[in-house]
Amino acid sequence: MTNIGGAYHDGQQLLELLAVVSECLDEESAARAAAERAAQALDAEVAAVVIDDEVAAVVGFPVGRVPAADLVAVARRELDKVDVPGVGCCRAIAADWGGGRPGHLVLARGGEPGFSVEERNVVRGMARLLELALTMLRTLEAEHEMRERSERQAAENAELLASLQQRQRLLEHLFDVQRAISRRRPLPQVLDMIAGAARQLLGDGAVGLWLRDDSDPQQITLVAGAGLAVDTELETPSMPLAEAGTVGAAILSGGVVVCEDDSSDGLAAMAAPVHDSGTITGGLVVTAERSGRSYAPPEVQMLQSFAEHVSLALTDANTVDRMHQAFHDSVTGLASRSLFLDRLAHQLELTGHGGGRVALLFIDLDRFKAINDTLGHAAGDTLLTITADRIVAQLRDSDVAARFGGDEFAVMLQNVSSAGDAAKVADRILRGLHEPMRIAGRQLQVNASIGIALSTHGMADPAALVRRADIAMYRAKRNGRGRYDVFADEMLLAFTDGETQPAP
Amino acid sequence: MITDARPDGRRWMGVGQSSTTESRTAAAQAARAALTGAEPKLLIVFSAIEHDPTHVRAGVRDVVGDDVPVIGCTTRGEIAPGGATDGTVVVAALGGPGFAATVAAAEDVTGRQRDAGVELGRSVTEIPGLPHRVLLLLTDGLVREQEQILRGCYSVLGASVPLFGGSGADGWRMKQAYLIAGDRVLTNAVVTATIHSEAPLSVGVRHGFRTVGEPMIVTGSRDGRIQTVDDRPALDVYLERLGAPPEAYTDKDACVRFVLPRPLGLQRRNGVDARNVSTQIDLDDRSLGGGGNFDHGGLVWAMTGDEQSILAATDAACQEALAGLGDHEPVGLLTISCAALRAVLDDDAVQRDKARLAKWAESAPFAGFYAYGEIARARGIHGFHNQTLAVLALG
Repeated sequence: MTNIGGAYHDGQQLLELLAVVSECLDEESAARAAAERAAQALDAEVAAVVIDDEVAAVVGFPVGRVPAADLVAVARRELDKVDVPGVGCCRAIAADWGGGRPGHLVLARGGEPGFSVEERNVVRGMARLLELALTMLRTLEAEHEMRERSERQAAENAELLASLQQRQRLLEHLFDVQRAISRRRPLPQVLDMIAGAARQLLGDGAVGLWLRDDSDPQQITLVAGAGLAVDTELETPSMPLAEAGTVGAAILSGGVVVCEDDSSDGLAAMAAPVHDSGTITGGLVVTAERSGRSYAPPEVQMLQSFAEHVSLALTDANTVDRMHQAFHDSVTGLASRSLFLDRLAHQLELTGHGGGRVALLFIDLDRFKAINDTLGHAAGDTLLTITADRIVAQLRDSDVAARFGGDEFAVMLQNVSSAGDAAKVADRILRGLHEPMRIAGRQLQVNASIGIALSTHGMADPAALVRRADIAMYRAKRNGRGRYDVFADEMLLAFTDGETQPAP
Repeated sequence: MITDARPDGRRWMGVGQSSTTESRTAAAQAARAALTGAEPKLLIVFSAIEHDPTHVRAGVRDVVGDDVPVIGCTTRGEIAPGGATDGTVVVAALGGPGFAATVAAAEDVTGRQRDAGVELGRSVTEIPGLPHRVLLLLTDGLVREQEQILRGCYSVLGASVPLFGGSGADGWRMKQAYLIAGDRVLTNAVVTATIHSEAPLSVGVRHGFRTVGEPMIVTGSRDGRIQTVDDRPALDVYLERLGAPPEAYTDKDACVRFVLPRPLGLQRRNGVDARNVSTQIDLDDRSLGGGGNFDHGGLVWAMTGDEQSILAATDAACQEALAGLGDHEPVGLLTISCAALRAVLDDDAVQRDKARLAKWAESAPFAGFYAYGEIARARGIHGFHNQTLAVLALG
């Protein structure tokens, strides 16, 4: 559980770093803010930004005792340890960026264990974002100077003004994208947004985002785009990586590829790789509208910025997915058994401190196996999904529904005063489930059996309550299916007297 | 009550506590009881908010002269072996040739928390022959963004000096906490003592809460507060997760009572930090806040704890602090605990918690208070905590 939280935390830290650095007005304060944020994210004592073999920012050493030569040596991979006053010998790692003014992000941490693979990925991601932010700040500073000069010289320099406006638009677009990612807008929407912004700013014919297929990494599929002949919502063209021209080259080489005349139609194109959790998973490509187009270094950098944001969006969305999967049933989206039992245990604990009673409904579909066997697994899954939706439709926000596996569902009702309250909900669920369902082209009608059990004073073990509801459900099945029964103590006796034991 | 321990005779710590209602007398009694050895180097005063801090300061001065530095703060309860938890004055004294202390204060802290931290960091000196240091900070608990004070300290000191301390409290009135710095009583300030020692000084910290259910994503935040989680009003989702009674949704007092022992967990790389959100309940906009900023997109959890889990955290914090002393026996412990834990621990449980501290301290004395925030930075750069017990073991 914490590992998933940790992975999510890592992705979130990249967004946070970007947010913190974006607020800075100059390179120096951005480097300092980034170092501090990186140290915080990695629980490290030391973080430094090294540019041109000089320490541009550092945190973790007493003032006046910064071992600059050692930090530079770590940046160059000549050292992998550094002595930190108060901590001792610390493991140190570095991540680099290239471009016009190459630099390094250095982290050092005491104690065990060393930096994990995931942590190294985070540091690499941070370095890439830092490069992006520092370059943008540097450009803005230079342009600010030019603007002051140009204002003195009157507004004759139309080209400069256009460039300034374009920079401003880039920042605005990127800010919108960052906000969309952190607000968890649907991934396709975010990706289309990035493609649209790239096309608008680069003024090119088409922008496409291609991702490697999960099942065959040598094949790539178009997932988002702008100005394309195809609508990616309706069709998703696919092609072998080796035949994918500029974008294929970018994915294979792991760097930006600029092609002044793409072999296919003589038009220029450039592409940058995109990553998910540090692994190259695709590429973002722009193709010129007319022949004779060439790409200046600021435009290459702009494409990299957009590709970086695609990487952030992919990493973030997939981490959220993975986290959700860990707690929820993959077919129905309901809580998993373990999450349900955790919430139930907590609720029973509250009940012990004077809260209302808890009711547990154990629901078992009748004849599910027959449908699964005759119509196939896909139909079975559809049946489960519809069942889950219909159960949830009868519940309050504070109630919890879970799929326990197979065709078994459980519902926890909070603050229930009597078995009658729970019976009303069970009755509504039964009637809801009995409505016809359209599955695999057929009209089906299913029934369910429901067992109800209420918590008793001092009951702390969630398994005990589940078992009671299970026994009541079994009784409902025996009493003719399509009905509910409320647990009573004598049912326990009936079981020990020879009724078949329910599944644990 | 007098307690002391002198493993090698060169360093000592003494703790005194007085329940006398007259403030000056109570402070003098506690100070006198704490002075169990020669060469006192530092007096640390923890005083209930019912006591007038100027009289407390005067009472301590009745016992020690101007040459002994004194720092202190008001509390939400005092911690000392065996005695009462409320309405008292506790004094811890450090002394002997193996200890030294220098004190400093930063004032008008609100709005310049980081700069104040830088000033205090610069006040830290080195003393030949006393290689081990810790910066003890007592802050005005009603000042916001206290993590920034620590960041300021860290920017000057780096990892070379551990940070330890707590936020002065005002008995949960949320109006005004007071600090003592020598002969002055301060508000909106931070007072510090750099403790220098021949022997190791070691910090431990733990919270005693566990997460409930699945994590939630902060989908809306503004001004460091959480507006929405999972795209729904933050307060409502949080109360639902924890199965709060209906009145907690509408009645502020009921809400505070319910929330106080159930912190909000904030995901960090190596675990979940507990944050007390009971002091900044907003029933109108249904948001959550408290204990520092919450970032947009961050991962949070509903949390719960009980006496057992909190006692286990007390054990772990003490063990961690004592382990850092190596072969040295402790001469004493400073123990700073979260005011909100008192909503989980009733009076009897508080006594059991103190008995746990006494077990770990063995024959050594301990002293501390219930704070509005705990300071403990021994690893990484993060040092401001909520809902924890922070322990400084003095070797």
